[in-house]
Amino acid sequence: MAAAPKIPVEPSYRDIDRSVLRVMEPAGLAYWAWIGFCFTLVAIAAGFWLRQIYSGLGVTGLRQPVMWAIYITNFVFWVGIAHSGTLISAILFLFRTKWRTAVYRAAETMTIFAVATAGLFPLIHLGRVWFFYWLLPYPNQRYLQPDFRSPLVWDAFAVSTYLTISALFWTMGLIPDVANAREAATGWRKKFYTALAMGWQGTDRQWRHYSMAYLLMAGLATPLVLSVHSVVSWDFAMAINPGWHSTIFAPYFVAGAIFSGVAMVITLLIPMRKLLGIEDLLTEWHFDNLAKVVLLTSLVVSYAYITEAFMTWYTGDPIEQMTFHMRYFGPWGWMYWVMVLCNCVIPLLLFSPRIRVNMRALWIITIFVNIGMWFERFVIIAGSLTANIEPSQWAGYRPSITEIMITVGSFAWFVGLFSLFAKFLPIISMTELKEGIVWLRKALKMDRVKAA
Amino acid sequence: MREGPSISRRSFIKLAATAGAAAAIPGCEPAARQLIPYVVPDENVVPGVPSFFATTCSECPAGCGVVARIREGRVVKLEGNPADPIGQGSLCARGQAALQGLYNPDRLAHPQVRGDDGAIRTVSWDQADKMLGDRLAAASKGGKDRVAFFGSPQGPTFRKIALAFVGAYGSSRAIFYEAINQEPARVAAKTIFGRRDLPSYRIDQAEVLISFGADFLETWQSPVELARQYSLFRTPHERRGTLTIGRATYVGPRLSMTASKCDDWIATAPGVEADVAWSVLNVLVKQRWVSQNSGFDLAALTKAVENFDPVATSARTGVPVETITRLGETFGRAEGALAIAGTNDSSAHLAAMILNAVTGNFGKTVMFLEGSPAEETSTPDEVDAAVDAMRGGKIDAVFIAGANPVFTMPASARVAEAIQKVPFVVWAGGVPDETAAMASLLLPAHHPLEAWRDTAPRAGIRGLGQPVMQPVFDSKPVGDILLAAAAGSSSAKLPWASAAEAVKAEWLALALKADGADPEDFWVSVRREGGLFEEQHLSALSLDTSAFKAPVPAAAQSELSVYAYPHIFLYDGRGADKPWLQELPEPVTQIVWDSWAEIHPETARKLGVAKDDVIEIKTEHGAIEAPVLVESTVRPGVIAVPLGQGHRAYGRYAKDVGANAWAILAAGAASAAATARATGKTRTLVSPLGKSDMMGRSIVEAMSIEQLARGVVPRSEAEEVTGPYEMYPPWKYSRHKWGMTIDVNACTGCSACVTACYAENNVPTVGKDGVDRGRIMSWIRIERYFPPAGEAAQAPQLYLAPMLCQQCDHAPCEPVCPVFASYHTEEGINGQVYNRCVGTRYCENNCPYKVRRFNWFVPEWPAPLNLQLNPDVTVRGAGVMEKCTFCVQRIQFAELNARTEDRELRDGEIVTACQQACPTRAITFGDSNEPASAMMRRREDNKLRNYRALEELNTQPAITYLRDLYREKGGA
Repeated sequence: MAAAPKIPVEPSYRDIDRSVLRVMEPAGLAYWAWIGFCFTLVAIAAGFWLRQIYSGLGVTGLRQPVMWAIYITNFVFWVGIAHSGTLISAILFLFRTKWRTAVYRAAETMTIFAVATAGLFPLIHLGRVWFFYWLLPYPNQRYLQPDFRSPLVWDAFAVSTYLTISALFWTMGLIPDVANAREAATGWRKKFYTALAMGWQGTDRQWRHYSMAYLLMAGLATPLVLSVHSVVSWDFAMAINPGWHSTIFAPYFVAGAIFSGVAMVITLLIPMRKLLGIEDLLTEWHFDNLAKVVLLTSLVVSYAYITEAFMTWYTGDPIEQMTFHMRYFGPWGWMYWVMVLCNCVIPLLLFSPRIRVNMRALWIITIFVNIGMWFERFVIIAGSLTANIEPSQWAGYRPSITEIMITVGSFAWFVGLFSLFAKFLPIISMTELKEGIVWLRKALKMDRVKAA
Repeated sequence: MREGPSISRRSFIKLAATAGAAAAIPGCEPAARQLIPYVVPDENVVPGVPSFFATTCSECPAGCGVVARIREGRVVKLEGNPADPIGQGSLCARGQAALQGLYNPDRLAHPQVRGDDGAIRTVSWDQADKMLGDRLAAASKGGKDRVAFFGSPQGPTFRKIALAFVGAYGSSRAIFYEAINQEPARVAAKTIFGRRDLPSYRIDQAEVLISFGADFLETWQSPVELARQYSLFRTPHERRGTLTIGRATYVGPRLSMTASKCDDWIATAPGVEADVAWSVLNVLVKQRWVSQNSGFDLAALTKAVENFDPVATSARTGVPVETITRLGETFGRAEGALAIAGTNDSSAHLAAMILNAVTGNFGKTVMFLEGSPAEETSTPDEVDAAVDAMRGGKIDAVFIAGANPVFTMPASARVAEAIQKVPFVVWAGGVPDETAAMASLLLPAHHPLEAWRDTAPRAGIRGLGQPVMQPVFDSKPVGDILLAAAAGSSSAKLPWASAAEAVKAEWLALALKADGADPEDFWVSVRREGGLFEEQHLSALSLDTSAFKAPVPAAAQSELSVYAYPHIFLYDGRGADKPWLQELPEPVTQIVWDSWAEIHPETARKLGVAKDDVIEIKTEHGAIEAPVLVESTVRPGVIAVPLGQGHRAYGRYAKDVGANAWAILAAGAASAAATARATGKTRTLVSPLGKSDMMGRSIVEAMSIEQLARGVVPRSEAEEVTGPYEMYPPWKYSRHKWGMTIDVNACTGCSACVTACYAENNVPTVGKDGVDRGRIMSWIRIERYFPPAGEAAQAPQLYLAPMLCQQCDHAPCEPVCPVFASYHTEEGINGQVYNRCVGTRYCENNCPYKVRRFNWFVPEWPAPLNLQLNPDVTVRGAGVMEKCTFCVQRIQFAELNARTEDRELRDGEIVTACQQACPTRAITFGDSNEPASAMMRRREDNKLRNYRALEELNTQPAITYLRDLYREKGGA
């Protein structure tokens, strides 16, 4: 890839177009090798899944009493990752946050693919996946409907609604940009972008409708940020298991979701801006702001951990207390403390303004956050099940190769889809960047001054 | 208007569909097709309707009566025969599992010949019969006693057949070998009463019971019958104005399940139980608590036990003096007392008998009966003589049937070597075992459930075993093989041509004795009843102490000794080929599919080993390796190893599982001095049990009999449970609301209910690896908890109780199911619709009792084990959740019957499989809407003992438990 031409300190609209469209030029061998690698892993995972469907869930490490473990952990993890995208694209849009323009497309894309990844796991974890549609209300001769008291049904609704709304929101946001790309493209790309652009001409009328529709969609998507992960948390909070049955789960999970999601955005953007040569569009100023969100949510999450421990003590319920004792000091206690280290201690480094703009440090910290958040879900989900109400049925759990490979495959699936997107669709919203060009100019100036 | 029967289009289609389905059903099960092929249908075979045949159980010498449930020509379930006075309608786990012996996939299917090169060749029955006849004839030419029969005791008629067989070949060597036999008891009885028959017991007539190593709830003599008696003994009753329960003490090296249900366990080294027993007698004699009319000479007795002063015994055995004195005093003061012994030395048996005799308890708690059946089992001396003869080349042909001496006889007997010396070894049986591996002709024999046989367990009781179905394999009854072979010899003139004929002839002879009975009517009635059960009469007892010699204290114990005891489920090893029994957790250790070396933490420290470390246990007779289990359930310095595992043959389920403890014992011994060393290897002992500590949760509750007598509710939290809280309107049960009452005090932990559930509900086994991975499928399990450290004095020795679906009114499993697969039926059961289940497993996550089971794989029943499957219960596929249904198929069956007969359901008409099996009647099922039902009355009658498991969770279980009862320590 040719060295990226420096964008002028006072970029024009054309400069922005050029920088973004340049990314979408045909890719080299390294790119395709990477895509091939990702989807080979996906194919391997698919093979393991097929085997699991064929022979039964016994190929997993699941057991009495740990009926949910890595699959559900992955589900919650990926749903959590999804949240920051909508937060950035919808909520920050409504708040007219200035730094969101350059990052929101990538964040939103991440949302779509994270939900698409998350949505696989409830299917993968089903004993009889071929009947998954029984979870949805559809007219049938037997007059059978799902049980609306079950949090899993709420879940099915929440996640599918979320996927639908964010996909629509995302596709709509893309319209002016793909129209822009359409102009320069040739061959099949031209047809592809033409179809996606849906006849966008950039007339005043279209812009007026577009802006209003975008605002409405942002308004629709906003409550979903809070609701989806609340509903996901109720999968656990509505159960009577110690370690699950808790009223703080909804805010706790939402904060955790944003925490992990924003961290994942940073994790993705740092290598991406380098590899795609768009350092000038994604400036330190952007990362500084993203890092602040990570820091804030880290503090919220830490507070939730303390509250959880306090409430457990305060209830005086010995069963609950024993489960938490096992969580902290049991055989899996190390996972809890890894989680505390990753989620509560390491992010404190972000109090330092220097670290917030040190790309390498930031990248490592956010990876720790992602590890920590994965462990958090695992500790809550599988860990609580191991130390349940019936001591004679306590048992440990050890994941099988099937679960590990499917988890690896899910990461490959997510990263692969994201990589495809980054190359074929505008990864940064030219439209919004132009709208906020003043702020971009300011940020660039700041960078140059610092560099000088 | 048109006349005639009107049939709407709708009903026509219904009828057509039903008929079509009915026609299609036999096609689902190809293996079953040959069972209903009659052109003229057998009136006994009505598809969908079970028939029942009374027969007898052959799994141990207790001889319980059995009723076999037959569906479409094959037996699907065994239950106790209510007419039989021994089992009284109950059947233990081993008895239930006989089905898996019948349908065992490793049973010999065709006669086989082992060539000189060891190669196995399948032959036809004609060839086999010819070979048998020729070789036996050749053998008998060598002179007298050149042909031998070596088998297990299989009833009086079989005994006659076997004797006729050897007689036909000019021999008298017929050995009826039982590895676990009553020889010590017989010797003891002979010593003081001059008779070798066995007394029968009435634990329920006693106030105090001392067991010297007798695991009477597990393997000793007649466990089902004794467990029933024991539960009556432990039922709270008024005595001398206070509410009390029988006081039981167990003396022995290991806290067996039996010991755990006693008040006290006096841990002794193996072999010194007799010392304690004599010492107890010493206390009695010293106090002159010797009944005037017992016939004993007090002076002589005093002299005999002079070496057993409690102080001296205490010094030898480590049992505290006060304990012995207290044992003697409570025994002597009791209104009825019973001492029993289960050790292998007759000294303890003798002491126990004298204890019973001097306290005047003969005829009360223990009795010899008039007309005891002839002894069936050969004495150890006879067995030894036969083995010696073989080794000496004095036997040219031996016919082995039903016994596995190569496995069960100690290494010192060198029985394999002896059998090798016999030129022609015929083996007839089911699954080829270690002994079969030495035979040159292997013949598939009928399983007892396929053959005619009879039993005579004790005076007044004769069980008639009739075949309950067509043979599964190309086998013949052993009796027929023997008779055919005997008939082939030139000299013989046999009274019967077949075993069936023999049994009938024997029983018709009994009819002649029964006055005025028409033989054919009699024959019908005994087959219907499953035997002849007559009144039992006490036998006059005469004391004959001439042979009585003063006992000698046992020699000093070695520092470390190994103690081998029969496994509650595998017994002497014969249960090991049955996956139900292998997968049933041993109640005290909860271990499955393995052998283990149970040692005290102190011993473990000395040996420097931890749980799962494999140790080598070496005695002068041999060495075995087994993983260590470190528990305080065994006396320090003792390595307790269960018998029954360690097969090198005996089918896929038994082969290469664990170690054979028989191999390190001397003949007739249960223990030996041993050394142990760590091998450096480890092997995980697999158990479905997680924690042994209940952590104060209300799962299995207990209270002391003193509290019960005072009317105290023990649970301090009781007032906190005020519920029920319900967001939704409460369920309305317009007809029935099924419920259960389970008496934890009656539950012994014997796990008969668990096996019954496996059989009734098509619960698959998953193997050792499956259990290790947490995939055991049992719908009902025995919860075992240790009392918390520090509170052991005020708790039962072990908490044991069945845990099954509590069929909650406010079931946590129900609302979480997204597809209504888990739902509430209108009769109060937590239904599970297998077809609707998508396998989210949320229900099990949310079940506080953890009683739901997920099908991780497609369950497997290697043919012909699948023939046992109950056609009334769906076989579940992979990916669905399953659970206890309160035997909904039995509920439906009874409801349908009631409707057909146009009447209301009767209380007690529905009997769940677990309830049916329970030897102590700990489980009662019934309608909660009916306050007069036996189930509700049992709750009402034991109001103070009622509790519901984890009630504070507001699950509102339909099962009410009655608290276990223990005796406060340090009290009177």
